[in-house]
Amino acid sequence: MRKAIFAVILGLATVTTAQAFAADEPGNVIKYRQAVMKAIGGHTGAIAGVVKGEVSFAGDVAAHARAIQEMSQLVAHLFPKGTDNESQAKNRALPAIWAEPAKFDAAVKAFQAASANLVKVAQAGDPSAFGGGLQQLGKSCGGCHKPFRAEKK
Amino acid sequence: MIWRAGPWAGGGRSYIRAAAVLLVLGLGSVEPARAAGDESAIVRGEYIFRAAGCQACHTDSKNKGAPLAGGRALATPFGIFYSPNITPDPVHGIGAWSDDEFIAALRKGRAPDGRHYYPAFPYPSYTGMNARDMRDLKSYLFSRPAAATPNRAHDLKFPFGYRFTLWPWKLLFFTEGYRVEDPDQDARWNRGAYLVENLGHCGECHTPRNFLGAADRERRLSGNPAGPDGKKVPNITPHSDQGIGGWSETDLTYFLKSGFLPDGDFAGGAMTDVIEESTSYLNDEDRAAVASYLFSLPPIARLGSGSQAE
Repeated sequence: MRKAIFAVILGLATVTTAQAFAADEPGNVIKYRQAVMKAIGGHTGAIAGVVKGEVSFAGDVAAHARAIQEMSQLVAHLFPKGTDNESQAKNRALPAIWAEPAKFDAAVKAFQAASANLVKVAQAGDPSAFGGGLQQLGKSCGGCHKPFRAEKK
Repeated sequence: MIWRAGPWAGGGRSYIRAAAVLLVLGLGSVEPARAAGDESAIVRGEYIFRAAGCQACHTDSKNKGAPLAGGRALATPFGIFYSPNITPDPVHGIGAWSDDEFIAALRKGRAPDGRHYYPAFPYPSYTGMNARDMRDLKSYLFSRPAAATPNRAHDLKFPFGYRFTLWPWKLLFFTEGYRVEDPDQDARWNRGAYLVENLGHCGECHTPRNFLGAADRERRLSGNPAGPDGKKVPNITPHSDQGIGGWSETDLTYFLKSGFLPDGDFAGGAMTDVIEESTSYLNDEDRAAVASYLFSLPPIARLGSGSQAE
């Protein structure tokens, strides 16, 4: 019985996900993707303000880190086929994402690991460690943006 | 225009430089020979190596080439350059070079066999390095593993393939000599100038070039519409719209350390390499010196965007 329920749930989930992809316009997916990326950038920018010593909101860092960590779980499905910069305007996602899926996957996982680490560092509460955690996160941003994002025109 | 950018452009400063070079050459001959494998020289040399950003261009990381064994392609409007092997391999690398030969390469843009280097090798910037930094850099490079990777010939457009064209080029555009500190500025500014203009060779990418590939000094650091690999390189003068005028010095210092832009985005393109391989290794003091120097420069609009001054 439990197995059957599980199978139904799994089936439903698969169908809804597939439908979601089929129904979404590539242009709208790109808009959504960019909104998520901007959100991540907003939180890293906020943490950077603390790390640079511009503001003393060290207690906020954990909240920003958790937000980034949650966003990092979304990234993998934000790149459905057909949303590259050759087939869609106003976007910098290079076709290499779909040409080298294993490499892309590894880069996303590295981002997830770095954001999980940042949560840990932030929750430990030692402000002198925030910079290192953020820098590690930055490296993982570059790990994806360097090979897979076109430069600004 | 060309003449103004020539070696005579510096006016009185060129004479000071020339005198300084003579002075250094004179001192060089009485300096005691340094023992091979001097540890502190290697440590200092590693810092110079990082500040001078040698790694990224001299390693073909895209094709998993050995570190510093060269072969990295640099596409330019003049053709494709392939960086040479600078490991201590005596045949394919620089292992057989003397200190003087190494210094001549950086200071004069000249190979041990007398050939002129193309300015894809940023000797117009490195020429300003002091001799001690050059020697320390050599010590560090010679401490690295040798790789027997042969050099690949450049693939250049006519007439740039002919090396003799470099002699008049250097005469017109190249000013040899180490940086003389500006006594009207403080030590931090002078250090920043040395890091930006010489070691860091920022202008090699961020300054537009004329049709003969020489830096357009009047638009120094104002961005390059045709940078390496055909990429657009941003304006890093304190211009309020196009440059870093809206940044704080802390923003810039932190960017050089981490790669984060003030808006939370991350550095793109070749600058990622620069941060990973070079500026993230500098100490905070040096990064701050770079920032304060850049903010001391006049804001200049990039090429083709109307008025030159802000």
